[in-house]
Amino acid sequence: MNHLPQAWGRPRDDVYGAYDQSHFQMGGPNQHTQSPIVTGTSVVAAKFKDGIVIAADNLASYGSLARFTDVKRLRKFNDQVVVGFGGDVSDMQYLDRLLNSLDIRENYGSDGTPLNAKNLHTYLSKVMYKRRSDFNPLWNHLLIAGLDGEDKPFLASADLLGTTFSAPTLATGFGAHLAQPILRRSIPDEAAVPNVSREEAVLLVKEAMKVLFYRDARSMDKYSIAVVTKDGVELKQDEKLESQSWAFAEGIRGYGTQVN
Amino acid sequence: MGSPFSINGGACVAMVGKDCVAIACDLRLGMQALTVSNNFPKIFNYGDVYLGLTGLATDVATVSDLFRYKVNMYRLREERNISPQTMANLVSSSLYERRFGPYFVSPVIAGINQTTGKPFICGFDSIGCIDFAKDFIVSGTASDQLFGTCEGLWEPDLGPEDLFETVSQALLNAVDRDALSGWGAHVYIIEKDKVTKRLLKGRQD
Amino acid sequence: MASVFSGAPPQSGPGYSFKQTPTEAPSGTRQHGFYPYTDNGGSTLGISGADFTILAGDTRHTSGYNINTRYAPKLFKIGGEGPDNKGASIVLSVVGFAADGEALKERLDTIVKMYKYQHGKPMSVAACAQRLSHILYGKRFFPYYVHAILGGLDEEGRGALYSYDPVGSYEREQCRAAGAAASLIMPFLDNQVNFKNQYVPDSGSGHELQEKPRTPLDQNHVLELVRDAFTSAVERHIEVGDGLQVMIIKKEGIMEAFHPLKQD
Repeated sequence: MNHLPQAWGRPRDDVYGAYDQSHFQMGGPNQHTQSPIVTGTSVVAAKFKDGIVIAADNLASYGSLARFTDVKRLRKFNDQVVVGFGGDVSDMQYLDRLLNSLDIRENYGSDGTPLNAKNLHTYLSKVMYKRRSDFNPLWNHLLIAGLDGEDKPFLASADLLGTTFSAPTLATGFGAHLAQPILRRSIPDEAAVPNVSREEAVLLVKEAMKVLFYRDARSMDKYSIAVVTKDGVELKQDEKLESQSWAFAEGIRGYGTQVN
Repeated sequence: MGSPFSINGGACVAMVGKDCVAIACDLRLGMQALTVSNNFPKIFNYGDVYLGLTGLATDVATVSDLFRYKVNMYRLREERNISPQTMANLVSSSLYERRFGPYFVSPVIAGINQTTGKPFICGFDSIGCIDFAKDFIVSGTASDQLFGTCEGLWEPDLGPEDLFETVSQALLNAVDRDALSGWGAHVYIIEKDKVTKRLLKGRQD
Repeated sequence: MASVFSGAPPQSGPGYSFKQTPTEAPSGTRQHGFYPYTDNGGSTLGISGADFTILAGDTRHTSGYNINTRYAPKLFKIGGEGPDNKGASIVLSVVGFAADGEALKERLDTIVKMYKYQHGKPMSVAACAQRLSHILYGKRFFPYYVHAILGGLDEEGRGALYSYDPVGSYEREQCRAAGAAASLIMPFLDNQVNFKNQYVPDSGSGHELQEKPRTPLDQNHVLELVRDAFTSAVERHIEVGDGLQVMIIKKEGIMEAFHPLKQD
């Protein structure tokens, strides 16, 4: 009988052999994240007349392996903010917990004004900048979508370096190359936003998601899409891309069915 | 050691005016930060054509001599001067011959075509890609600065005197912001049947 | 018979799983490092006059060949009241790594506002300029990767302009261009603002030559030079464009203007 309680229920070395801890890194110098592991790809978003649309697919990749196919990368913060996450999924889950605790704190001693998208963007960009300054970055690119203090559409980004910017349309990762030009064609500047209806914006973002699915190898056809307006957040997490046409693939060697 | 293009330093610029062209260069020759000579012109004349060469000084000398030989052979065979356009193609093909072991030079051509009477300028990269420009061509270690001054000072249809002032100010102010160029300048103003060469003193530091 | 349970306590200390820990980090080359900086492009420029200072900056924000946004201001009012700096008389422009620029702006703004709160008078530009130098030098070994230009009016009411390197070296100047297209704009400014390489006609030759005297420039003329400098830079530098933000600091206050630039 072993009288040390911390040993109870543990596999004993003399029975099972010592545990191989070569992959363990306790003690020694602390390791910071040097590269992302499980990753989410693009997030796309666009402003419209009285709100904002944001979308991201439900895939979390492990390198080139499509590892987790039901990961929700849009997070509703409250009735006026949605955050979209690109990049490392474990860092996303950390930020999710951080936002949960922030929300709880806000709802305790609150004066009744909830945090708006602008507030949350300031908060998250300071978290990101602090972590990069500690050489321990959160390996994400975030889009913060919602309404600002005057109930006007707000869209801004924050990345692992603490870089921030705002525009009428935004897309992270591969989407910055593929989706952003499509989005900008319809919404070139802030002046164009009042002329865009909710339906047009949703259609535009869905079209961008389709293009990304065609050409981004780390994407999938299941996605989440959220619309934020004064009436609240409408978040759908099990959408499927519709009316795909692979007709173009026939003409491309290596993409379609022909071999030579 | 840095890029072969910026060991010796130097700058060159060409501009188009109304029925005239200008080409100008600085006079410095250096070994990295050390100035070795303040009388190293980078513009060479081949009949109706003026060729500016910046980059590695040994290649400037070699390439200028190579084109003297080639243009002389052309003149003997054709019994006429080479035109700026023909010269441009000769420079381009000669540089591309050395595609995988290039001369480290950035040539500039300026001249007036004696048959058409039209001004002509162009520039090249070190493997012969031609840049036909309607306004100006810059090259050398002060090329960024020259782009700024030329873009700011140049305007269309400048007469010979105004073109001289413009090209001179563009060059002098550009080389004053480049540690590897300067120490005076040569300026050529080329008209249909007159060429004026002026020597500018400039800052001596 | 090692697999037979003996029931006796272990002899040489407990030998249980998850107890022993390696004391050395695994060796081998690291695959990917984290580089905490990036360059967000763009250019800024400042010119001081007799009773005014003009600062300008383009509004394009880039990462590599991507344009992140066509409107990201690089000019910030410092001091004054509240979050929109009402009544401020100092302007900071930052170009380089935008996240550092933003952090630097927030620190300086807080300090200038605290100064007024504690001393009951606004901070002078000279004091603010020195403080900014100290902030930058304070991060000497992990610098703010920015070229800063600070503009305002000095205690005599003349235009004051200070420019900085990333680690706090600073100097008061008549004019300064910074950022991606600084090398294009600066020689043009030397020529057009400080009349470099310009001489009085027929004033002699050699050392007798009289330099063209430097006269304080008219505000509209300076504004024209600023817009010329930027339209030129837009033509030849891919990181410059989209919009031009201009701030004119005079004793009446700060005027802000926006002019469109080419978006290609």
